[in-house]
Amino acid sequence: MASEAVAHESEHHAPPPQVAADVIAQELIATTTGATGRFKAWAWILGILSIAGIVALIVKFIDQGDDSTKWGYVAAMVSFLLSLAGGAPMVAMAPVMAKANWVRPITRIASLFSFAGVATLIMLIPLVAILPPLVTEGARRRTVWFMAPDYSPHFWTTLGLVLLLVTGIMLFYSAALPDFASMRDHSTGWRQRLGKRLARGWVGTDAQWRTLRMRIGMFGTFYFFILVFVNFLISTDFGQSMVPGWRDAIFPMYHTVSGFQAGVAGVVIALYFSRKYMKLEKYVHMDAFWSLGRLLFALTLLWIYFFYSSFIVFWYGRSENDIATLDLLIKGPMMPVFIAAMLLIWFVPWWILIWNKVRRGTGAMVVGSFIILIGLLLDRIRTFVPAWSVPPDQIHEKWLKVIPDAYWPSIFDVLIMVGGISLVALIVMLMTRVIPVLSVWQVQEFNLLSKPIKYIRGHATLVAKPD
Amino acid sequence: MSTQSILGLFQQPESAADAMDGLKEAGFELGTFDVLTGTPYPEGAFGEYVPQHRLFRFPAFGAIIGFTLSIFLTSVTQLAYPMVTGGKPILSIFAMLIIMYEMTMLAGVIATVIGIVFESRLPNMKPGIYDTRITEGWIGVVVTFDDDSKVADAESVLNKAGALEIKHAK
Repeated sequence: MASEAVAHESEHHAPPPQVAADVIAQELIATTTGATGRFKAWAWILGILSIAGIVALIVKFIDQGDDSTKWGYVAAMVSFLLSLAGGAPMVAMAPVMAKANWVRPITRIASLFSFAGVATLIMLIPLVAILPPLVTEGARRRTVWFMAPDYSPHFWTTLGLVLLLVTGIMLFYSAALPDFASMRDHSTGWRQRLGKRLARGWVGTDAQWRTLRMRIGMFGTFYFFILVFVNFLISTDFGQSMVPGWRDAIFPMYHTVSGFQAGVAGVVIALYFSRKYMKLEKYVHMDAFWSLGRLLFALTLLWIYFFYSSFIVFWYGRSENDIATLDLLIKGPMMPVFIAAMLLIWFVPWWILIWNKVRRGTGAMVVGSFIILIGLLLDRIRTFVPAWSVPPDQIHEKWLKVIPDAYWPSIFDVLIMVGGISLVALIVMLMTRVIPVLSVWQVQEFNLLSKPIKYIRGHATLVAKPD
Repeated sequence: MSTQSILGLFQQPESAADAMDGLKEAGFELGTFDVLTGTPYPEGAFGEYVPQHRLFRFPAFGAIIGFTLSIFLTSVTQLAYPMVTGGKPILSIFAMLIIMYEMTMLAGVIATVIGIVFESRLPNMKPGIYDTRITEGWIGVVVTFDDDSKVADAESVLNKAGALEIKHAK
């Protein structure tokens, strides 16, 4: 079988050759050691930028902690990081539930993004302190909290984000137990000690495997429910409720779906670099990129669907608050940012990803993913910066009477944004030093359940789906 | 009389399945032998005993507790400070939904974590007999018994099925 697969390697649709289980364990565990000079250099750069971002956040809080109109870029970053770090683990979940075999080797890299939720939480802390209470100067603004206590959004949103972080880490840990056992068995030094401690006596009995499957399913389901909920809270409490008259039932879903888009784009980027620089071509097959490409393309189309569904209500409505909301978010001072965002999050990636040839490669896919993330960042900026630029004494009015001027980022805002993105990248990179970037047992399971076969005069992969 | 276990190591899953069949035919009780793998083989692939699990009860129980607490919390606070808003009743379900949802999720997740500790038998303080080659694709068939006289029978079954190595542990 192996020789047949190797013979087909040069052909376009030849299934990838299978790798022996012991080789998989040894090679993937070896990826955690021996970081290259380039890796270390990037880790240092990202570390310095992350620290600079956190320092800038603290300084900004001390300097501008009493003026909420200056915090739009931090709000945009919370939303962006939630989309990227929160959306990526869904790639580790949704296709697995749909019994897709291609996703098994890449679920680890997607679930590593759960740890990057720490960056979102760090950004949220000062924002929660600055978020105006529900009642300001005796007037209550319109929120989903109705007559709830004044600081309800502050408490429940923070709790929701912490819950998302914990569930994401539990989802990661649940699926990582067998790999910690592999590290206990085959690694050395502190990694072996860590593996022994975290494997919790895993030996691979039938009961352990059965509960592992169950808890991945359970935590995955919880993760999805909580992610959608946190997106709802962030988009309403930190976006819509800051603007008088912005009433949009579609916006929370728009926020969530574009978060999934960012998550898939983030996974494509992380997969591309780990595959290229950790020499993982024989484990991360093109099939994974094709499938992610289709997913990314579908989500890119969904962006325009949700945007248009939301926009048309305001455009047709033409009430005072509809006009003011469109002026604030789209037609007013943020118009250039909106156009750039729409081009980068939808039109350009749509035009790139529409081609089969592109989705069957890696280079253009990763370029498209970077473009989507830039577009998403701009989209979050054009949404949250004007929302937060509304003075607190006006947020309880019926609609916005005066559109605030565009607020340009200060040096602190730039440092915070660069630092936040760097922290996400750094966390994911450092986690690849702790545990194999590809799940050892899932790569082995991938090989166990799929066999390259000759099918009439062509080639195919026979996949068993016993779950 | 002390508990003793032996571990037969196989490279081929078919041989391990033969060993499991052989142990059943030799009269070993279900639950006294198990298969250890580094990869999740499909359930029943080795003809192994599949015990019933209760993991789903934990999140369900937690979610019910969380949901109940959330109704209590939101109802009591609204009744303690009654304010009629927009002509709606004091206890308006839509105003309570967010907290009910979040507390249900919170308790569900906590209960699931607790359930995993029980159902996965983790942490496994006495993992028993084991071989590191299992995480390299080898398959282990472990037999545990209180009666030393059965050791020879078990070894015979494992050898007959093609065990490449047999390890003993007390």
